[in-house]
Amino acid sequence: MSSKKKLVVLLLITLILTIPIIVLIFSTIGTNLSNFNYLWDYLLVDYSINTIKLVFMTIFFSLLFGVLPAWFVSTTNFKLKKIYDLLLYLPLAIPTYIMAFTYSDIVSYTGPIQSFFRNYTPKFAEIINVDYLQIEFLSILLSLSLYPYVYTTCRIAFSRIGTSYINLSKTLGLSEFSTFFKIAIPISRAAIFSGLFLIVMEVLNEYGAVNYFGVNTYTSGIFRAWGPMVDIQTASLLAVFLFIVVALFFILERYVNSKYKFNYAINTSVRSYFPNSKIKYVIINLVCLVPIILGFTIPIIHMLKNILKKSLNHDFFDVLSLTGNTIFVSIIASIFIIIFSILIQFINRISKSRLNKILGDVVSLSYAMPGAVIGIALILLFTIVGKFFETLFIGSFLVLIYAYVVRYMAVGISPIKSSFEKQPESIDQTAQSLGLKTANLLNKIYIPINRSAIIIAFLLCFVDIMKDLPLTLILRPFNFDTLATQTYEYAIEEMLARSSLYSFAIVFLGTFMLIILKNTLNKEIDVS
Amino acid sequence: MKKITYLIFIAIFFSCESSREVEEVNLYSQRHYAVDELQYENFTKLTGIKVNVTKANADELIQRLKNEGDKTEADLFITVDVGKLWQAGDMGLLQKINNDIINPNINQSLLDKNNYWVPVTYRSRILVYSNERVDKSELSSYEDLANDKWKDRILVRSSSNSYNQALMSSLVANLGIEETQKWSAAIVKNFARNPKGNDRDQVKAIAAGQGDVAIVNSYYIGLLLSSQNEEELNAGKSVSVFFPNQGENQRGAHINVSGIALTKNSKNKENAIKLIKYLQTDEAQKTYVNNTYEYSVNPSISPNEIVRGWGDFKMDDLDLNLLGSKRDEAIRIFDKSGWK
Repeated sequence: MSSKKKLVVLLLITLILTIPIIVLIFSTIGTNLSNFNYLWDYLLVDYSINTIKLVFMTIFFSLLFGVLPAWFVSTTNFKLKKIYDLLLYLPLAIPTYIMAFTYSDIVSYTGPIQSFFRNYTPKFAEIINVDYLQIEFLSILLSLSLYPYVYTTCRIAFSRIGTSYINLSKTLGLSEFSTFFKIAIPISRAAIFSGLFLIVMEVLNEYGAVNYFGVNTYTSGIFRAWGPMVDIQTASLLAVFLFIVVALFFILERYVNSKYKFNYAINTSVRSYFPNSKIKYVIINLVCLVPIILGFTIPIIHMLKNILKKSLNHDFFDVLSLTGNTIFVSIIASIFIIIFSILIQFINRISKSRLNKILGDVVSLSYAMPGAVIGIALILLFTIVGKFFETLFIGSFLVLIYAYVVRYMAVGISPIKSSFEKQPESIDQTAQSLGLKTANLLNKIYIPINRSAIIIAFLLCFVDIMKDLPLTLILRPFNFDTLATQTYEYAIEEMLARSSLYSFAIVFLGTFMLIILKNTLNKEIDVS
Repeated sequence: MKKITYLIFIAIFFSCESSREVEEVNLYSQRHYAVDELQYENFTKLTGIKVNVTKANADELIQRLKNEGDKTEADLFITVDVGKLWQAGDMGLLQKINNDIINPNINQSLLDKNNYWVPVTYRSRILVYSNERVDKSELSSYEDLANDKWKDRILVRSSSNSYNQALMSSLVANLGIEETQKWSAAIVKNFARNPKGNDRDQVKAIAAGQGDVAIVNSYYIGLLLSSQNEEELNAGKSVSVFFPNQGENQRGAHINVSGIALTKNSKNKENAIKLIKYLQTDEAQKTYVNNTYEYSVNPSISPNEIVRGWGDFKMDDLDLNLLGSKRDEAIRIFDKSGWK
C-alpha cells in the first residue's frame, strides 16, 4: 500500500468516526449566548466546582481501591492470590448508576442495615440514621465501580516492572514501602494516568447517579439547557466546551505517556519479591477484600435478595430475550470497533507518519462527550444524511451500532495500540524481507501476535456497550430494550426491587466476559 | 474475519428491513409503566393493530421527532408531564385532534383548549406529613410552606425534576412571577436538606426524622403503601396525605396530566386515532387505575382502593397548557432562588 493510500484509508476511517462530533461543533455556530450567560451567572460555576470535587474524590478512592491491591497481587505470593486477582476486576460489570441505586437502597432508612439495627440496638440505629445522599458517599460508590480501570492498568504495569528494578531497589536498601512509592509508582505513572483518564471520563458522563444524589455537575448544566430551557444549541455548546477541556487532558496524558517510556523487563517471571509476615498477610487480605466486598459481594447479595422475593412475579423469558438483545448489539458494535482499531493502529505502525498518529488519537476523543450528547450529534448528522437519501435512518440498528462504535472507540483502541507498540519492529522487517505483502503482514503477523490484546479490547468494549444507557435510550428502534434500559426504567420509576433481576443479568453477563478477559490477560502478563 | 463481517452486514440489513406489512401504530412514549404494555396488548387483541413503542425521556423524544421531520415513523407521543405535550405542540410537531375523538365523559377541565393532546390519566402533586410531628391543622396550602414555621422541615426533590417544574409553572400562572419568586426564595430556606433523591426518598426521609413535610406525587404514596417490603410499608404508614389549597376560596391542588398526542407527520393516522380512543374507554381507564395509583380522567371511574382512602379533592382547574408555557419562567425562579 502506498503512503497516499494509507492516508486516504485513515482519513476515511477518522471521518466516519468523528463526523458526528464535527456536525455537533458546527451546529453551535451562531448560538444565542443569552441562555449560556444565564447558566454561567446562576449555575455553571457551582456545577463546575461540584464536578471538580467529585472527580478528585473519585480519583482518590479509585487509587485507594485499585493501586495497592494491584501491587500486592503482582509482587507477593499469598493464598487466594489468583482468586483475588479475578474478583478485583468484577465490579467493572456493575454500571455506576446501578451501584449508586443499589447502595442507596442498602443504606437508606428502610434498607436492611438501618432496619436491622432499629430492631436490635435502637440507640446505635439513631447514630447511623443520617442522610447518605452526599457527594462523598457518591464518590465512593462511583470509585467502587470504576477502580478496576486503575487496577487493570497498574496490574499490567507492576507485573512488568521485573526483578531487575526490584533487585536494584533492594540492593540500595529500600524497604517494600519505599520501593512502592519511589520505584513502582513513578515507573507506572503512565499506566495509572491512563486508567484514571477513563475514570474521569466516566465521572464526567455520569448523569443518573449524580442527579439522584442531588450533586449537580457540569453535565447537569448540559441537561438543564437541553431539557427545561429547550435550547439544544446552548446544550451542544456546553458539551463542546467540556469536550475541549477533556481533549486538553487527553493530549497531556499522551505527553506524559510518551515522556515516561520505560523499558519493562517483560521476560522476568513474577515471584514473591518481598518477605511475608503475619501482619503483612493481614494487610494484604484487608486491602484486597475491601474493594471486592464493597464493590461486588454486597451489591450482588442485595440484588439476589431482591430477586428471591416471592412477591415479584419475574418474567424470566423477558430477561432472556433482553439478554439476547444486549449481546446482539454489543457483539456487533465491538467487532466493528476492533476492525477499525486494528486498521488504524496497523496503518499507524507501518507508515510512521505524524499526521497518521494524530488521526489515530482523534478517534478516541468522542469518549469525552456525554453519551446523550453523542446521541444528539447522531440525530443531527442523520437528519442531514436522511434528507440526502430521502430515508429515515434514526431509529435503525445501523445508527445505534454506529453510535456505539463512535462512543466506545477509545475503549477498544487503547489495548490494541499499546500491544502494537510493544511488538518489536524487527518482526516487521523480517517479514518484509521475506516478501510478505502488507495485507499478509496484517493477517499473518499482526493479528496472531496481538491476539490477546484484540480479545481484551473486544471484551472491554462488550462490557461497556452492554452497560450503555444514554445512546440506547435516544437512538433505539421501536420495541427494542436492552438489560440496561429495562433496569433503568424500573429504577427511575422507583421500583428498585423489580429492576434487580435485570441488573443481575447485566452483572452476570459482564462477569462472564471479565472472567474470559482475565484469562486472556493472564496469558498476556504471564502470571505464574 | 471477512466472513464474520459479511454476516454482520447481512444481520444489520435484515434487522433494518423488518417487514412492515401488518397493521400497526408507532408510539414515542415517556411512560414506561408495566400497565402500558398491558394496555397495548389489550388494544392489539381487540383491533389486531400492533403497537410499536420507543421509550425515552420526553426531551429526547421531542428532539427526535423534530429532527425526523416528515420522515418520522412515530404516530403518537405520550408523556407523563403535560408541559412536554404543550412544548411539542408549540414546536409544531403535533396535529390537532377532532372533538369527536374525545370521549365526552372525560372531565372537561382536563382537556386541551388547543386540541393537540388528550389526557389519559392524571396525578396530583400533594403534601405528605409526619404523623408524629405535624398536626393536620398546621397545613393549608403550597404558599404556606414558605412560612417560617416550616424552617428546616420541608423535603422535596431537585428542580431538574419535571413534576417540580410543572408545580412551579402552576404557581407562576396563578400568582405571577414576582410572588412566586418570593415564595420560592422563602421555601428554599425552609428545606430540611438539599433537594435530592426521588419522591419515595422524601417520604423515607420523613420516616427517618430528617424533615416533616414533603412534596410528592400522589401515586408514589400508593406504591409505598402497597410495598411488599415491610420497612417501606412502615415508612408509608408513618405519613399522611394532605391535598393543599382546598379552602373555599382556594384554587385546589396542583395536578399534572399524562396525555397522548398525534404527531404532525403520522403515517398510520387511523390506527393512531383508534388507540387514542381506546385509551379513553372505561375498560382502559379501569386498567390504569387498577394497576397504578393514578387518577382516571373519567370522573365516573373511581381510583384504586388505597387512593380512594385519601378522599376526594378539589383540583386546580388552571389551563394545563400553562404548565408548559410558563416553564421557562419557572426554571429561572428555581435557579435564582437556589432550589438545586
